[in-house]
Amino acid sequence: MKKSLRRAAASGLAILIATLVLFPIVDITVEDCLVRTTPFVLCGLAVAVPARAGLVNIGGEGQFTFAMVVVTATVLLVGDTIDAFLLLPLLAVAGLLGGAVWAGIAGLLRVTVKLNEALSTLLLNFVSPLILAYFVFGPWRDRSSFNLPVSKPYPDAAQLPTFGLTQVHLGIVLAVVAAVLAWAVLDFTRWGFTVRVVGGNPEAARRAGLPVNRIVFVALLIGGALAGLAGMIEVTGVERVLRPNIGVGFGYIGFLASWLVGHRPLELLASSFLLASISVTGDSLQINAGLPSTSVYVLMAVVLLLVLAIRGLITRSKAD
Amino acid sequence: MLEECSGRNAPPAALETRGLSKRFGELQANDRIDLQLHSGEIHAILGENGAGKSVLAKALYGVNLPDEGTILRDGRVVVIDSPRKARALGIGLVFQDFRLIPALTVLENILLALPDQRMRLRRKVLTERIAQAAARFDLRIRPHARVRDISMAERQQVEILKLLLSGARVMILDEPTSLLAPQEVDALGRVVSELRDQGLALALITHKLMDVRSMCDRVTVLRGGVVQVRGVNPAGLDDTKLVDAVVGRRLPQVRSHPRQPVHDPTLAFQAINIDVEAEHGRLALSELTMEVERGEIVGVAGVSGSGQRELAEVALGLRGIRTGGLRVLGRDVSNGRPAEVLEAGAAGVSEDPLATDVVPGLTVTEHMALSRLKLPTRRLGCDWRALERQVAALPEAQILKIAAGGRQVTTLSGGNVQRIMLCRTLAGDPGFLVMAYPTRGLDLANAVATQDLLLRHARDGAGVLLMSEDLDELFLLSDRIIVLHAGRVVACVDPEVAERHDVGSLMLGLAA
Repeated sequence: MKKSLRRAAASGLAILIATLVLFPIVDITVEDCLVRTTPFVLCGLAVAVPARAGLVNIGGEGQFTFAMVVVTATVLLVGDTIDAFLLLPLLAVAGLLGGAVWAGIAGLLRVTVKLNEALSTLLLNFVSPLILAYFVFGPWRDRSSFNLPVSKPYPDAAQLPTFGLTQVHLGIVLAVVAAVLAWAVLDFTRWGFTVRVVGGNPEAARRAGLPVNRIVFVALLIGGALAGLAGMIEVTGVERVLRPNIGVGFGYIGFLASWLVGHRPLELLASSFLLASISVTGDSLQINAGLPSTSVYVLMAVVLLLVLAIRGLITRSKAD
Repeated sequence: MLEECSGRNAPPAALETRGLSKRFGELQANDRIDLQLHSGEIHAILGENGAGKSVLAKALYGVNLPDEGTILRDGRVVVIDSPRKARALGIGLVFQDFRLIPALTVLENILLALPDQRMRLRRKVLTERIAQAAARFDLRIRPHARVRDISMAERQQVEILKLLLSGARVMILDEPTSLLAPQEVDALGRVVSELRDQGLALALITHKLMDVRSMCDRVTVLRGGVVQVRGVNPAGLDDTKLVDAVVGRRLPQVRSHPRQPVHDPTLAFQAINIDVEAEHGRLALSELTMEVERGEIVGVAGVSGSGQRELAEVALGLRGIRTGGLRVLGRDVSNGRPAEVLEAGAAGVSEDPLATDVVPGLTVTEHMALSRLKLPTRRLGCDWRALERQVAALPEAQILKIAAGGRQVTTLSGGNVQRIMLCRTLAGDPGFLVMAYPTRGLDLANAVATQDLLLRHARDGAGVLLMSEDLDELFLLSDRIIVLHAGRVVACVDPEVAERHDVGSLMLGLAA
């Protein structure tokens, strides 16, 4: 208990310092940061949950994208006939399923032919954008879009409600709920316990008679579903139209966010906020200072190194 | 304390420690140890598990730095802060579990250890050097065999040769006889006496009196990190004196155990003509037929790699069989998965719990949940406190004094981990027990307590399949001993009448 408190304090402190440095320097708003935090948290959870079962899911990116395709298909099918109360939950389910299916491919390969899931999830990231491109360049292209590869805009019923006049949408609530749920399930339930056993030592799990393959598969499905939910939220809460290049890099940033906090869901909220601040800073730098968009990656790398260094120093001095 | 004075003009010891102390947390592992290793002598360092022998060896080899005290090499004070430094000073250590790379050949393993290699590997030259040295020290070494294909005894000889070629003049052997069959021990004895005659200083770390008697010129006894007997010729001490020095008390005797007739006719374990494949399609067990009745302890003897591990894994459903049939407590588990076999009522302690059973990051209580004990739930979560109380109430937990429930298992010592595994296996009274080396890593008192627990469970009707590298333990506990050699049962003997030496011959594949 003491150890986890100390860890939480350490990463909290590191993140606070970094954020305090960041906010005054560049002109960004908490509002933008919260909007950006949402997909990072969910993509982070997509890494964290499988990671606790000893899996490396680098496929948040692909799961996110495939889910947006499934969500858009659902919108195009039934979007005009159902009202928001039913449509949004339906779209959420579509997103969860889309992500889970995409992760399920890797999961199936892992438990049947023992293909390493890090490899398969990574490679699948290159496939789902092609599927998306096929649809928006082809059957789903909006005739009134001056030939741009975008789908028809989502109907109002398929848009996530926002808070007051801000851009902040319901997604952040869902992200926080998902993180708390993930924490509670992993740390306090029997299933979460078996996941941790499998992640800690699969041979020990096998010897204890646990269904290792099933646990591995389900953990990966859940991860994929969470990335899928991120895709659903991004496309219904921010973009409201399907086009290529939505949320490019979110999956990888989620990966960073999760590793930064050792796959602990609650701390993931903090690291995601930090990374979101940096990411938004990048947009503002590009617009205001005329810097290339890639400069944000330099910034991100610097801050990450700082966070890791500070945390390393703190935990080491405690350990000695 | 017993001491022997050395002459005033004697040459300085090859390796000497003065007041060497090392503390780990609460544990004073070594307490002001004085030790002198002389060239041309074999010096036994005798003690129970946890007496501080390995800590001392590691200090001499630079694995851990002592807190206090000095080390002298040929009379000069030296600081040994790394194994590299130790090797540079001509000090070598043969680890108990060896440190060879199985996928490489013997030659390649030796190459790795040599300091004077250039970029280009000169295999021919080295092959010759190996052949010369092997002939000189009477070692049987096949330089081009892969390490994974050679026996434990051969691996040990490779380790020894490796140290010799890298210029070691002081050689420490950690529990060198623990993985060897009796005849192989004799061969080792000849090798070390040859080394002694060539002027090396040898230290032999052991907990077996027999090793001291058969191989050593001097003995130092450690108990609780303190020297009890210092550098005495063992011929001058009788067994009782030595044992007293080692354990500091009389040996507790395991009760004799007249076997109770058990009325349940269901066999605890039955294997009918099974073939079991190991890696690369080789047969690890062939045409093996055996049974374990309820209430019976069946010992399995064999030099390591004779199929014991595979038998233990098959009995727990961890490894599939190619042909034949398997039943555990009456249930057909020929195609069994671990969960089914556990469900049928089996439980087991594995050969290497640190690798196959310990889950990093989990506590003692969490490990206990992976057993026959039901993990209690409260509302939606798990009730760890209830489980902890349940564990604390187990007789095994009290007898084996397992560590506090909140401790992380990875922070515990090997003996502690083993006791947790034993307790977890015995919890809930399984009807069939597969015990692979149950007393490995335990000190004497706990080993005896464990043996006692096994007898008690057998008396209560459990069938026990017992693997042990300690023939004494097999003879003490078993109702029957089956001897495995190269994956076949070569004999089934009655420990009441069989001779140890005959069992040793059978283990090595010689006719009894």
